[in-house]
Amino acid sequence: MSILYGILKFLHWPLWNWYLYGYPAGLWIMYFVDAIIEVVLVFAVAMLVVVILVYVFRKYMADIQNRIGPNRLGPWGSLQLIADVFKLIQKQDIIPKNADRIAFRVAPYIIFTPVILGMLVIPFGNASILQLMVVNFKYTLLFLVAAMVISPLGEVIGGLSSHNKFALYGALRSAAQDIGYEVPMMISVLSLIILAGSYSINDIVNAQKHIPFVIPEILGFIVFFLAMIAKQSIPPFDLPESGSELVSGFSTEYSGMRYGIIYMGNFGFMALASVVVATLYFGGPVGPFFNSVLWIAVKSAVFMIIFLLSWIALGRVRVDQFLNMGWKYLLPISILNLLISSLIAIYFGGAF
Amino acid sequence: MEKVVEVNFGPQHPSTHGVLRIKVKLDGEIIVDAQPVIGYLHRNAEKLSEMGLYPKALIYMDRLDYVAALNMELGYILSVEKLMDVETPERAQWIRMMMVELNRIASHLVWLGTHGLDMGMLTPFFYCWRERERVLRIFDEITGSRLLYNYFSIGGVYSDLTPKGIDMIKEFVNTFPDRLEEIQSIFQKSYIYAKRTKGVGKLTLDDAIAYGVTGPLLRASGLKWDLRKNQPYLFYEKVNFDVPVYTNGDVYSRFLVRVEEMRQSTKIVKQVLEKLPDGDFYNKKYAKPMLVRMKGSGESYVPTESPKGEFGVYVIGDGSTIPYRVRIRSPSFANLQAVSIMLKGYKIADLTATVSSVDPVFGEVDR
Repeated sequence: MSILYGILKFLHWPLWNWYLYGYPAGLWIMYFVDAIIEVVLVFAVAMLVVVILVYVFRKYMADIQNRIGPNRLGPWGSLQLIADVFKLIQKQDIIPKNADRIAFRVAPYIIFTPVILGMLVIPFGNASILQLMVVNFKYTLLFLVAAMVISPLGEVIGGLSSHNKFALYGALRSAAQDIGYEVPMMISVLSLIILAGSYSINDIVNAQKHIPFVIPEILGFIVFFLAMIAKQSIPPFDLPESGSELVSGFSTEYSGMRYGIIYMGNFGFMALASVVVATLYFGGPVGPFFNSVLWIAVKSAVFMIIFLLSWIALGRVRVDQFLNMGWKYLLPISILNLLISSLIAIYFGGAF
Repeated sequence: MEKVVEVNFGPQHPSTHGVLRIKVKLDGEIIVDAQPVIGYLHRNAEKLSEMGLYPKALIYMDRLDYVAALNMELGYILSVEKLMDVETPERAQWIRMMMVELNRIASHLVWLGTHGLDMGMLTPFFYCWRERERVLRIFDEITGSRLLYNYFSIGGVYSDLTPKGIDMIKEFVNTFPDRLEEIQSIFQKSYIYAKRTKGVGKLTLDDAIAYGVTGPLLRASGLKWDLRKNQPYLFYEKVNFDVPVYTNGDVYSRFLVRVEEMRQSTKIVKQVLEKLPDGDFYNKKYAKPMLVRMKGSGESYVPTESPKGEFGVYVIGDGSTIPYRVRIRSPSFANLQAVSIMLKGYKIADLTATVSSVDPVFGEVDR
């Protein structure tokens, strides 16, 4: 609510003093308008990051693979994605005859939802007096985790509603993969909460003033990082899509802008995942020498590059191998990590 | 409720390398039954060959295994030459041998790249294509075309090696082993790749022999059978090379066999460059105008080792200028039949790995 407040104060227009029948109607209007402004801003920033990320991905991948990559539209091909989006919008919107039409249409948006929801609660640091965090309340970490869980749901719905066997298999794999990594992920998040003593991401960031959590929580970090790769379904864990096996997995029947939204949602989630990892385990905006939004940008950029590298360089694991990894290795490791962080919290609780 | 789901993999599917269709019965992710259905690329090559003059059938041979077209030409040309008792100058034979080995490298590179794609690895594909491009440039320089060459003629080859072509080949064989090492390490050092392919798509030696499987698949199953060694044609007994054999019979051994074969082929090309004699590159008796008048009678079959396995053309001549019967023994056709026993009991993900390890090229399977 701070942005609108600043503007109105600058204009000498004290809307917050307007009362209607004794109710603070001016304040409500401000809350409402402000919420819209901030969500739109976050959406715009997220889309900008996605555009940059897709461009970097294409160029970086091309560079590794001895190709040139997009180089026709705009300087160094930077407008390629925008052209692609226009192309996708122009395409015919095909929905399979026997598909569940409502579910089929809703699924891409469900995949895209966590990108915006998750970005709302990330503290991006302070710009002078303004705190760059849209929503701040006591349980932001829980909210973040709950938001991130949504996107596989979209994959399952999209796959089941497509009326296609490959899509069905993609959806089933997505469901199987979910329960494979989500339990260990939750447990490693739990150990963060124990260590910081709070459910608030803000507190978790502040607790990393001296030592980033990656040092006491190295096991949890590994688990969380692998879970993040699996959540984005990028190689080596791109089982729900698995291009060469299931044609395109759950998104087989999607075309045009619906596919575009899924694509953007994947890249948006990559941006979100790298920001989340940077925030939870590397202190987010808190950094050596100074605290600034610059730090979180640098840290998340590093993770984006690592995600892209994993995409470019690695092959795909098999479903049973992934589930083996999730249940036999990640889960025990995360429980061990929970134990370690509990001990740390008991004996060195004041250190963080 | 029916537990088994029947899924059609192909004929339009990203990992069937063309127009293969596999009817798969799935119990969850496990394959209960898999039947390859072929014939989508049938182009009547045998009958078309029987309708034209002997040298004219060559272009249909090119289009059989289009990634190793020279190997296909060789099979036909050797049979026809045996049928007509045509003498081939030594230089022509050495050139043929070199070109065939270069084409074997190109074919295996195509396989390696697409195999990587099937395993979800995007990057090695481009490295393989980069190397293959160099081979194709060599072919472009020497034969005049990049994919379908029509280069071998009855009694020789259509054009001699150019000095520039020889330089290009020399440069290729000197740099290729290192680059191959690099590409191989992308696969071999990847824990994921090893986990995905070791023990997958097993084919026992007995099954392999029973199904008539030849080529890298047979050698990966443990039989040292390479026609270049066992029934030498051209001058294969005069060059020094090894035949890689692995006994596991899984996808990983096939990968190792093919990579090693590329290395051995490079070795052969190097030796050919040293031993290449001077002389005619075609038999002067059978110059181009003569070729259309060539008559053959009797029958002949010369088996050759193509990148996919034993390839040979059985030719019957009735004394006229047109072959009476041309029967093509194509290796992928036989190899592909073994897919159904290779797949039983494995998972969907192994289907792509196994099918791509067979290296089917559908021009040759469907003919």
